[in-house]
Amino acid sequence: MIKKIICFFFILLLVVSAAQAERQRFVEFTSYHVDIDVSKVKLDDAVWKKVKPYRQPLQRQFLEVPKPAEVGVKEALVQSINDGRHIAFRLVWKDATKNDTIKIMNFSDGAAIQFPVRKEAFPEFFMGEKDKPVHILFWRAWRSKDKKDGFQTTKTAYPNMTSDIYNFDYSIKGKGTEKTQAEKDIFISGRAAKNPLSFPRKEIIAELSSVGSGTLASKNIENTSGHANWENGEWTVIFRRPLSVNDPESVQFRAGEKMPIAFAIWEGSRREVGGRKAVSPAWAEVEVEK
Amino acid sequence: MQLRKVSNWQLNRRVAYVYPQSRPKKQWAMIFDLNKCIACQTCSLACKTTWTSGKGQEYMFWNNVETKPYGGYPVGWDLGILSKLKLQEWNGDKYVGRTLFEAAEKDEKILQHIAEDEEWAYPNIAEDEVSGMVNQGDWIATLPHRIWMFYVPRVCAHCTYPACLAACPRKAIYKRPEDGIVLIDQARCRGYRECVRSCPYKKSLFNVQTRISEKCIGCYPKIEQGQQAQCVTNCIGKIRLHGFVSTPDKAKKDNPIDYLIHERKLALPLYPQFGLEPNIYYIPPIHVPLPYLEQMFGPGAGAAVETYKHIKDDQTLKGLLVLFVSMEQLLHSFKVDNKYAYGYDEKGKEVVKVPVTEPIYVREFFDKKLKAYRHNTP
Repeated sequence: MIKKIICFFFILLLVVSAAQAERQRFVEFTSYHVDIDVSKVKLDDAVWKKVKPYRQPLQRQFLEVPKPAEVGVKEALVQSINDGRHIAFRLVWKDATKNDTIKIMNFSDGAAIQFPVRKEAFPEFFMGEKDKPVHILFWRAWRSKDKKDGFQTTKTAYPNMTSDIYNFDYSIKGKGTEKTQAEKDIFISGRAAKNPLSFPRKEIIAELSSVGSGTLASKNIENTSGHANWENGEWTVIFRRPLSVNDPESVQFRAGEKMPIAFAIWEGSRREVGGRKAVSPAWAEVEVEK
Repeated sequence: MQLRKVSNWQLNRRVAYVYPQSRPKKQWAMIFDLNKCIACQTCSLACKTTWTSGKGQEYMFWNNVETKPYGGYPVGWDLGILSKLKLQEWNGDKYVGRTLFEAAEKDEKILQHIAEDEEWAYPNIAEDEVSGMVNQGDWIATLPHRIWMFYVPRVCAHCTYPACLAACPRKAIYKRPEDGIVLIDQARCRGYRECVRSCPYKKSLFNVQTRISEKCIGCYPKIEQGQQAQCVTNCIGKIRLHGFVSTPDKAKKDNPIDYLIHERKLALPLYPQFGLEPNIYYIPPIHVPLPYLEQMFGPGAGAAVETYKHIKDDQTLKGLLVLFVSMEQLLHSFKVDNKYAYGYDEKGKEVVKVPVTEPIYVREFFDKKLKAYRHNTP
């Protein structure tokens, strides 16, 4: 019996110290107020040299199966600035491989930042909860390549593949050959189903909402713009958006206030996708400087 | 992760699955007589022209036909997962080895073999390759053959316990309660490819143009009209039969699918040891060495081969086999008398009547009416 009690207290001690360890990784940082137009800030503008970066530790996603055994990115440097109207986040992380081309078994590098929609009752940091939605800004390297070289297709993925003809995609003109894009899309099921992944987009950063794992949904709005660049084994990505927007289900920043924030990074060459990702171990907090 | 226990009649035991048991009202099923398949690929093309002619589907075959033992689409799909699963032991008709869910690695839902990009690029690799070298002077004298090959047409098995459905983190894959057909919601899929990784039969496929996954839809629009799938009705070798399979305890003798699977145990599931209760069933080729057939179709392969060898003396089986691809409609019941095989739809209406043995007409060499000699040249 005594042994059992000792064991129990020992386990309790372990749990408490583990929880403490989690707390210690909690990061607070500042979105510095700057006197430039943040809505137009670029990846390597001089302003970023003046802003102190915060080290955001990352670990494997550990709550939902499948959990990756290991992840490729263990740390990201995070910077943030605002000008009272717009806010920008800049993420830098090491990644030896650039994964931005689409193939059957190619997976895209990616990064996401997450905010609670209502910070008064914000959810656990992992993908939101029922009635406690999160707003996610999601960059995928695929989209950067799309923007640079045009929307990637089977032809760009497999230049040597052959196909005789596509339905309604006639190379001759005449009665019955004039088909609208919608009619052609009937044969491209992702487009016929209006899946946002299957269409080109203006911005490289997608906006999503989530109320728990497996509920991620496209918001079909594009208030966030950005840039991304891979050089010398390192990704640099910026996310820029207005501090506040009309959409009530979007994150609203207020100068002088703090906002919870969480991060995720995907290393495509390790086939990280979905829940196979590196995540910040808890909510961090960003203070929007006045 | 908590796994559930569900009943799997193909393995004669309960197996692990991600979700609780929930069988559909009816279960889509397809039977293939491998003794008759000639790999003409008419099924592949019937499917392709119907469903996968779009951009991003160029090398996508929901239905494919591959040559065994070496062929496979994607290359090595079967070898890959079989070697990962390691020893697959049966004790009589009970499977005592591990299923793919039971053999899952830590923090994974299911044991996976990932087909690499290039492996999807050769849909008919190793076509017509035989199992070994043919020596000078070799001839075929016995069953099974010393050197052998056979063709395997494959579609999605619309498994009772689908790996794709279990693996999808978004619940974008669902199994229809009315007919057991497994579908990927094209609006909900986000292209994570967990289904592509997890389906051991490799029948979830990624479309690089739409950036989401697709699979065989079991020709559900035809099923809803009471008709068999395109790959079935276009089969020129008449090797296929499409319908609904019951569990053994509810098997109906006059349901042609139940009769072949449960009553006569002639049609066997493909790699039942994976534990998904697949619903594509094969009449094994009688010329292939038994160990290979048992690995592929389970311990019932030997008995099925013996039954098949004696079909010529079995009026009911002979009759049922001539009903294969003799009609567009799905058969819910059948009957064979000493002359004809009959097929009936869901309401019991006769939709097909076929002579079990084709009548032979012998015509006079000289046609008196036309005053012409008949030649036996076409």
